[in-house]
Amino acid sequence: MSSDLAELEVSVWRGDAVSGRYEDFRVPAHDNQTILDVVSWIQQHLDPTLSYRYACRVGMCGSCAMMVNGVPRWTCRTHVKVALQDNRISIGPLRNLPVIKDLATDMDPFFDKWVAAEGRHHPSRTRDEPIEQIDPEDAARLEANKGIECINCSVCYAACDTVAGNADYLGPAALQRAWTLYNDAKDDGRQAILDAVSGTGGCHNCHSQGSCSHYCPNDLNPMAAIAGLKRATARSFFKRSK
Amino acid sequence: MNMVGASAVERHDTDILILGTGGAGMFAALHAQQSTPPGTRITIAVKGLIGKCGCTRMVQGGYNVALGGGDTVERHFMDTINGGKWLPNQDMAWKLCEQAVVRIRELENEVGCFFDRNPDGTLHQKAFAGQTADRTVHKGDLTGIEIINRLMEQVLSRPVEKLQEHRAIGLIPTVDGSALAGVLFIDMRTGKFRFVRAKAVMMGTGGGPTMYKYHTPSGDKTMDGLAMALRVGLPLRDMEMVQFHPTGLLAGDHTKMTGTVLEEGLRGAGGRLLNGAEQRFMFDYDDLGERATRDVVSRGIYAEMRKNNSSRNGGVYISMGHLGPDNVRQKFKGMVKRCEDSGFDLAAGLVEVVPTAHYFMGGVVVDADTRTELEGLYVAGEDAGGAHGSNRLGGNGVANSTVYGGVAGDVMGTDIRTVNALRDPDETVLAAEVERAQAPFSKRPGNVQRLRHELQETMWDDVGVLRTAAGMKRGVDRIADLKSELHETGVASDNLAFNLTWHDWLNMASLCDVSDVIARAGLARKNSRGAHYREDFPDSGTMESSYFTVARQQDGKVDVAREPVQFTIVRPGETILPDGEPETLVEAAQ
Repeated sequence: MSSDLAELEVSVWRGDAVSGRYEDFRVPAHDNQTILDVVSWIQQHLDPTLSYRYACRVGMCGSCAMMVNGVPRWTCRTHVKVALQDNRISIGPLRNLPVIKDLATDMDPFFDKWVAAEGRHHPSRTRDEPIEQIDPEDAARLEANKGIECINCSVCYAACDTVAGNADYLGPAALQRAWTLYNDAKDDGRQAILDAVSGTGGCHNCHSQGSCSHYCPNDLNPMAAIAGLKRATARSFFKRSK
Repeated sequence: MNMVGASAVERHDTDILILGTGGAGMFAALHAQQSTPPGTRITIAVKGLIGKCGCTRMVQGGYNVALGGGDTVERHFMDTINGGKWLPNQDMAWKLCEQAVVRIRELENEVGCFFDRNPDGTLHQKAFAGQTADRTVHKGDLTGIEIINRLMEQVLSRPVEKLQEHRAIGLIPTVDGSALAGVLFIDMRTGKFRFVRAKAVMMGTGGGPTMYKYHTPSGDKTMDGLAMALRVGLPLRDMEMVQFHPTGLLAGDHTKMTGTVLEEGLRGAGGRLLNGAEQRFMFDYDDLGERATRDVVSRGIYAEMRKNNSSRNGGVYISMGHLGPDNVRQKFKGMVKRCEDSGFDLAAGLVEVVPTAHYFMGGVVVDADTRTELEGLYVAGEDAGGAHGSNRLGGNGVANSTVYGGVAGDVMGTDIRTVNALRDPDETVLAAEVERAQAPFSKRPGNVQRLRHELQETMWDDVGVLRTAAGMKRGVDRIADLKSELHETGVASDNLAFNLTWHDWLNMASLCDVSDVIARAGLARKNSRGAHYREDFPDSGTMESSYFTVARQQDGKVDVAREPVQFTIVRPGETILPDGEPETLVEAAQ
């Protein structure tokens, strides 16, 4: 097959937390080939010191996101033909996160903010009690369901210009998680959530530019979730002022 | 060459150390915290990022638990024993079924999972193959993501010490060998060694048969846990038992997409398997056709491939189009999108599939409290053998890891009360492990990936879906050759920070060690049971005379013994269900 003889021109960011630069590689093209396959091929055949991260290979773990031609993507689920521009691909570490080495970033700040946004269940029952009966068509439940499939891949966080300009901003994924919990009938931490998301790094920093929702590989809508939090925090504020 | 000695190993202490952040590791951390006084140091270490590597997250189907409506713990237990073809450790299988009832309430009420509901608000449950009741709790077909995300949040928000991208490379015993002193790691981000002492260690690194050409597990999984257990002399049981999933995606050798699972539900919904001539063939092998169980369909596909009736890349095709492309798109949204991203049309076209190594039933011999022969070491999840016997039921995997991870956390919390001090390691063993890990630095750099491919071909051809004595013996020899070749293959050591090629080498070393045990255990089982099928011994043997294999390494040599199964709760031919209970509660059972 002729396409199997072709080569891709790939530019890969190399460096650490302090400095780095792009290096060029030529990689054989295949019909079935993802960006992750390209990165692995370089490490296995051209430069054994290239660092990157992946785990599940199927878009479930959210470990392998990188900047592909300037856009944040899951590399395991991005076919080369989708990303290719003039037979060239540039691959860099995910934006808005510290680089550990080459294409591997430190995701701790992302998860620290997830926790800071009260992004964990606040139990209202224990294991000794029955599981709560919840109407699956209840309006609050439907709202909670909208964000529940987030796999915390950090693509939205990398896409967000507000995060880029304000290191304290909690970011779209953490805020979407907070909104999901706020709507969860089982969660006993509504006020704690509102307090967490209404501070200096909170939801009111969002300028509704919508990059998060545009780039989410799972078609979720963090921008709408943040809008929900803005309304809820405003309501809460007026209620308290009375 | 930048070799360091044991003196360059950074030393660190904790009270409870947990390896792995799947269902087992996370529950161990939560329960350890609940069962110990404040101030107890709990450390969780993982080869990748917390909650992101490993396979719990990849669970599609769901969580088996008997929650009434006619279903009982007894029924779940009988299904588990029958599914495991009478090989399971019955005490472990019982605790799995019994404690799953508590664990599912814990997951919903305390951890915060939200599983799918019936219209009346109760949990929705469905029946997987091999089950006699609607028992599987789920969140769509992305159950693992819900479970692991919620567990991850709980662990991240607690004062648990986190060692991410820390790869465990050695279980280090005390000088007299009677107890575990701690675990040696490579901090992958810096490439430096770190030894962590602990009063109790739980290993939950998650098995994962990635030594096969086609495999489903996450890329980080390379049997490191079982390889470490082997080196420290622990007994491993059921090591011949590798579960193959019939429909892994086949997209060529050069892509990581190959081997990943196309879900079971496709066949259940009426999906057809076609050979290279685009003809159905499964009815040639079984009356249930494509709807037969995983092992039967895997063998059917493999046999068809061996007749050279194969598809373009050497597998078969799955075809869904006759069910209506729009219907397929709606019903299997995630699968259709994944195939589409990868360049395949599952809804209307033909997609190539191949059987793929999915789950490892074998593991360290443990008791129902997760204790091992080595004091201070506990094992849970896929690293532990016994609960599933020769075959795991769909939906019992995540139930097993979460139940036993929690058990380990509780038991360790109790056990460390009587451990007064941290134990000192055998420095000779520690130094030997440090040296072992650096062995490739003194050799000329070579292509580790080529060796990995050869191992995967060998295991697929000789120790795979259909086995013979001749094939497995060939496998043992080939694995030995590859091990020698690996030891002559070097890795450049000028920059060890996040050096994946070094880790590829270490991965390959673990895989070779465990592959050898799989082949030897396969030779020792002279019958066909569950996932293990021998063409030269196709008979299952009588259930009453059931035995399981136990492999152990001593002085560098692996011996495999057989031990009779103890029928501690129920004997073959009997049941613990009350008289007159129907055989199945599932309507229109497959």
